[in-house]
Amino acid sequence: MKKWYCMILAVVFALVLLAPAAQAEVDFSGEQINWIIPFRVGGGSDVWSRLYAPFFQKYLPGNPIVAVKNMPGGGSITGGNHFEQRVRGDDGLTVFGSSGSTSFPYLLGNSKVRYDFAKYHIVFASPTGGVAYINPELGVKSAADLKGFTKEMNYASQGATSLDIVPLLGFDLLGLNVKAVFGYKGRGAGRVAFEQGEVSIDYQTTTAYIKNVRPLVEQGLAVPLMTWGVLDDDGNIVRDPIEPDLPCFPEVYEMVHGKKPSGQAWNAWKAFMIAGFGVQKAMWLPEQTKPEVVEAYRAAAKKVIADPEFQVVVEKSLGGYQQMAGENARKAFDQVLSVPKEDKAWVVKWIKDEYDIEVK
Amino acid sequence: MEAFFQALTVLLTPSHLVYLVGGVTLGLCVGILPGLGGIVGMTILLPVIYGMDIHNAFALLIGMVAVIPTSDTFPSVMMGIPGSSASQATIMDGYPLAKKGEAARALGAAFTASLIGGLFGAFVLSLIIPIARPLVLAFGSPELFMLAVLGMSMVGVLSGNQPIKGIIGAGIGLMLGAMGDAPAIAEYRYTFGFDYLMDGISLVIVGLGLFAFPEIIDLLIKGRPIAEKAELGRGWFDGLKDTLRHKWIVLRCATIGVIIGFIPGLGGSVVDWIAYGHIIQTSKDRERFGKGDIRGVIAPESANNAKEGGGLIPTFLFGIPGSGSMAVFLGGLLILGIQPGPSMLTENVDLIYTAIWSLALANIFGAGLALMLAKPITKLTIVPFRYLAPFMILIITFAAYQASYSWGDLIALLLVGILGWLMKQFGWPRPAALIGFVLAGNLEQYLFISVQRYGFDWLTRPGVIIMTVIIAASLGASIVYQNKLKAAGRTAAKK
Repeated sequence: MKKWYCMILAVVFALVLLAPAAQAEVDFSGEQINWIIPFRVGGGSDVWSRLYAPFFQKYLPGNPIVAVKNMPGGGSITGGNHFEQRVRGDDGLTVFGSSGSTSFPYLLGNSKVRYDFAKYHIVFASPTGGVAYINPELGVKSAADLKGFTKEMNYASQGATSLDIVPLLGFDLLGLNVKAVFGYKGRGAGRVAFEQGEVSIDYQTTTAYIKNVRPLVEQGLAVPLMTWGVLDDDGNIVRDPIEPDLPCFPEVYEMVHGKKPSGQAWNAWKAFMIAGFGVQKAMWLPEQTKPEVVEAYRAAAKKVIADPEFQVVVEKSLGGYQQMAGENARKAFDQVLSVPKEDKAWVVKWIKDEYDIEVK
Repeated sequence: MEAFFQALTVLLTPSHLVYLVGGVTLGLCVGILPGLGGIVGMTILLPVIYGMDIHNAFALLIGMVAVIPTSDTFPSVMMGIPGSSASQATIMDGYPLAKKGEAARALGAAFTASLIGGLFGAFVLSLIIPIARPLVLAFGSPELFMLAVLGMSMVGVLSGNQPIKGIIGAGIGLMLGAMGDAPAIAEYRYTFGFDYLMDGISLVIVGLGLFAFPEIIDLLIKGRPIAEKAELGRGWFDGLKDTLRHKWIVLRCATIGVIIGFIPGLGGSVVDWIAYGHIIQTSKDRERFGKGDIRGVIAPESANNAKEGGGLIPTFLFGIPGSGSMAVFLGGLLILGIQPGPSMLTENVDLIYTAIWSLALANIFGAGLALMLAKPITKLTIVPFRYLAPFMILIITFAAYQASYSWGDLIALLLVGILGWLMKQFGWPRPAALIGFVLAGNLEQYLFISVQRYGFDWLTRPGVIIMTVIIAASLGASIVYQNKLKAAGRTAAKK
């Protein structure tokens, strides 16, 4: 009897000892990790990955070299498809960085998309925010004045299937009469068009807003309206902590319509807002990756985000938004993955009806 | 003012100078290699600057980008291969000079022009930056469209006495430029089911295909060295004197360079052609252009260095890049934790001054080094080309592959190369095709926006009317000159 007891004890002990040993087995010593970024060098996602890379190098077990590999093309679809079709192996030596421009064609069911986020393992995600503002000559002093406001406005857009779905559908939900002018390259061009008077309503990411639009607000050349808001832990859209004085989109919806937002259009807006802003950028491991490798990555991501030195980077270059690691990121991105078919179809139809553009 | 000179003293400390010279050296190498330009150089440096002192990083990045338009003259002059998109027009007269054995003179003139142009650009940048915002804002989409039209009007001068071929050539360029995703609507054109063509063909490939490929083939067929005479003729010092003699051309073209540089959206790739076209239009004796007129080297070279100074303006003040390399530079700023915007003028004015001084010093170092290299490198023009060809083919293939790192790049290079060779054989003006290609996107995008936004009212905007007058005047003057030349019984045959 005593023997049995000893044996069980020994086995339990061995298991206790082995468990962390199995964890520690993940060791990237002397390895190089390739981080595929489906955008060009110097773009927003490229900068984002290069800010993160040295910290992953520091915290991944074995301190592997983390190299950013740019694979631009097809509005990030090329890189995403490469990740799906060519990247094999369960050792986590190749990871993928997605952005809103990667998620949107996926949500819209673009036939060129081969990648499927539902299969991959998310490591961490970075949110961003957006601030909408308007030309003061239109007489709007704040978002409250938008109720029943029907004057025609122009918005400088990159395209009806781009990230601009969020502002365009948002303006539509508020009953605003906004005409999209297509063909601008990037939000920077849109902001210049606003300053030139070429367009009268615009939005910028919060970081760009603070540097470039706040001076205009101070000179009386722009009136801030609202933020798109940020995602809280329960998946609700709440005020943006970076611009807490501005109402967020759901609040403005309530001001205009007198009731809380609901319905298919709202669900669709929320899904695209989360994909485009709430969890705009994310790092992914391929489907086959061993669970312990996924865990090692997520643990490293937590340490990166907790590093005070990295917090400075977040403040200075990532807009100051709370970064999400592991489970938090998964929960947030699940909201993108769980969008019902009908809501996606609704947006595709809305784009077709509104702008006569077929999503293929 | 104090801050202005303080930035200089900071920059002159040894550690900063090391970074500046490092950037200049890399820029010289990237420029000399055909097809590689500022974008590639920036891409190499971007991973390095993480965590670096901001002033050092500026010295490195700006040092690199400032000298590319200096050193890219080597392949343009000596082999007729564009060293980067900034010195495509230098080929037109630089290469014929090299064939005559005057490569050293052409290089001497080019480097001096680059130096003066670059310094002028830095100088103008320092003056203009406080008042630059309204200037940039004056160019709305309709005005940008007219600027692109002005660029297209250069096709007229560049096709010499073959206007029809010139127009068709430009049309071919426009069609090549329309490939891939449309700028304003979610549509793909001429992709023939290939994913590669979804992003269109890159400028590097079209530049190398139209100019480098045909030159290599022809030199191999002839089996001779590049210089048709064995001796190297006059030296670089004559070139320097040429440039000083044409100082007004230098200043005029440098001004053009700065202006095109600071207007965002037009891109830097047409600066050299606009300067080259301008100098032909305003010269009375034109018959030697295209056959080795030194003015045809000085004009584009003074403009392309000056544009880098101009290009920093929209990057700093609006956070929108003026050219491809500035787009990468912008990413570099964000990595360093700097959000560009109007507040740069108040919060980061020291950085702006560092940028200006880096630009100026880099131009001095770059031109000096390039002049020192000129003599030994020109000897390459008397080496039988069959020894050089394998290296050249390797280098242009490598450069083309930088476009998207796929097989499609090499196939595209071969096909555009064959097109370029046929055009050369049958005397079709290849610059016209290149200008059409470069401007295709801009023309379509800004016309599309203008019409969507303003209907036909955009035609009545003052800026548009002024530009129309300029274009009409330059075309008119061109035709009048041409007729005068004919009347005088001289032939104005140009390629």
